[in-house]
Amino acid sequence: MQNQENLDADGKAESVISIQTSEYDSWGNLGDDDIMLQKSAIFVQEAEKVPFVGDKEPLSSLEAEYKSGSPILLEKIKVLSGQYAAIRRTRGDGNCFFRSFMFSYLEHILESQDKTEVDRIKTNVENCRKTLRSLGYTEFTFEDFFALFLEQLESALQGNESSISHEELVIRSRDQSISDYVVMFFRFVTSGEIQKRSEFFEPFIMGLTNGTVDQFCKTAVEPMGEESDHVHIIALSDALGVPIRVLYLDRSSCDSGGLSVNHHDFVPATTEVASGSAASEIKIPFITLLYRPGHYDILYPK
Amino acid sequence: MAEDKYNLKNPAVKRILQEVKEMQANPSDDFMSLPLEENIFEWQFAIRGPGDSEFEGGIYHGRIQLPAEYPFKPPSFMLLTPNGRFETQTKICLSISNHHPEHWQPSWSVRTALVALIAFMPTNPNGALGSLDYKKEERRVLAIKSREAPPKFGTPERQKLIDEIHEYMLSKAPPVPQSGSTDVSGEKPTNEEADVQVTSETAELAAAVEELQNSPTINRIVEEAVPEVQPEVARVAPSSRPTTQTEQGRPETRVHKPADDRLFTWAAIGLTLAIVVLLLKKFMKASAHGSVFMDES
Repeated sequence: MQNQENLDADGKAESVISIQTSEYDSWGNLGDDDIMLQKSAIFVQEAEKVPFVGDKEPLSSLEAEYKSGSPILLEKIKVLSGQYAAIRRTRGDGNCFFRSFMFSYLEHILESQDKTEVDRIKTNVENCRKTLRSLGYTEFTFEDFFALFLEQLESALQGNESSISHEELVIRSRDQSISDYVVMFFRFVTSGEIQKRSEFFEPFIMGLTNGTVDQFCKTAVEPMGEESDHVHIIALSDALGVPIRVLYLDRSSCDSGGLSVNHHDFVPATTEVASGSAASEIKIPFITLLYRPGHYDILYPK
Repeated sequence: MAEDKYNLKNPAVKRILQEVKEMQANPSDDFMSLPLEENIFEWQFAIRGPGDSEFEGGIYHGRIQLPAEYPFKPPSFMLLTPNGRFETQTKICLSISNHHPEHWQPSWSVRTALVALIAFMPTNPNGALGSLDYKKEERRVLAIKSREAPPKFGTPERQKLIDEIHEYMLSKAPPVPQSGSTDVSGEKPTNEEADVQVTSETAELAAAVEELQNSPTINRIVEEAVPEVQPEVARVAPSSRPTTQTEQGRPETRVHKPADDRLFTWAAIGLTLAIVVLLLKKFMKASAHGSVFMDES
């Protein structure tokens, strides 16, 4: 028994030492690749605690999260709960914006059964396909992603064999082989839009990364797990013609008393000249996302 | 074939099958790659050493493993032919660039990666893992050796594929410059930069010239004629391209026939002789040296 304990103690002491020494060693020996590997491993571990798309939770769960946190945030959450009923969290794996958009959009189609919207977006998707082709992308590198998204779109509409229930939508959104493909579809669409209108996006991108539009797309848009910024949101919203509302939950406050939660509507730039009738029917975003620095979740209005 | 064995609902399988199709529909002279019939996640490939480098003329074989998450995760590459730039049977890290580790992206493919690998060969390894920094001469020796026989690796089925790929590449890759001019393949290389074509044709000429030199009578003629022949060939070369380019569309691997080769070599010799004779005639008309030659022949 005693021996065993001694061994244990020794073992512990040794492991402490070895950790220390290995820490010293590692500073010298760690290559970029090792650091990246380690970083991504931590990332994966953390991210797997949350499903790609979570369950719908009452907004009070958000409040509970900040119980002992900043009073400004608590105040803002109170303001939010005046207008919003629930939140659906997404995994913080760098794809959260696209994933939130995916679920929110498909859920909207499933619930509204809006066939005109489906037809409209299909036309836009077709245009995105053309854009990628004209940019020189090889068809087979993106067509699977396009096909999978269109499939999901089709099955969100009821009345055909492939129709799915809301539960099934949740299951699919958590299934990597579907969820990641749809996310990648959005990444292709976003990248294509940015490259097509590179003159428009260039100043934004220069401000963000100091690199070229092409580099930005290759390093910050197309690879999975790269976080989204305003540029991504504008491009996706424009390309698909879907307006998006983002509420910002941060610690900013204004002096004029009364806290409010800032929001921004990303309204797709219409390429055609807005005629009187078109201008009058300004779209109210049916996709609402909650932004907290570094992360997007889905919000449900009351 | 493979279509029956795999779950086509699996997105990775779907994608890979499409890449195979595309690879067969648009063959390249610079590389060749195909999956094993028994497992489409396992590929064999061969690349041609990039021109203007010590790898020129070399045929380098390797294997590719595609992950189950393909195309979200990158394929891994491993060379099997000793080359002096990458260790064999060691995974090559294609994102070695230490400052900006490039991310793999699904819009890339096996084709893109092979093109990148070829471009990578002449770069400085900078001590990267799995890299070798052999001297140019050593690499050139390995390049010549690489043509002799494909590497022996894996199951008989894999070996068969490797051998097929080697035959294909031999038919496409011009020989290592400044050596091995005796095993000149008569086949005209397709889809190449004009200068590469010229060098291979001059190599052909050199071979013909060597044979010609065996007959002592025209020894001097040849020596004088050669410098004038070269520009002639350079002018002829581009015009031969349109006809050869039509071959590109053919999906099947061309089998290299030695009988064809001999025929082409003789044809080349015949043509060279004709050119030499024509030039000689011109030369004789134009200069007073004519009489000297007449006396000799």
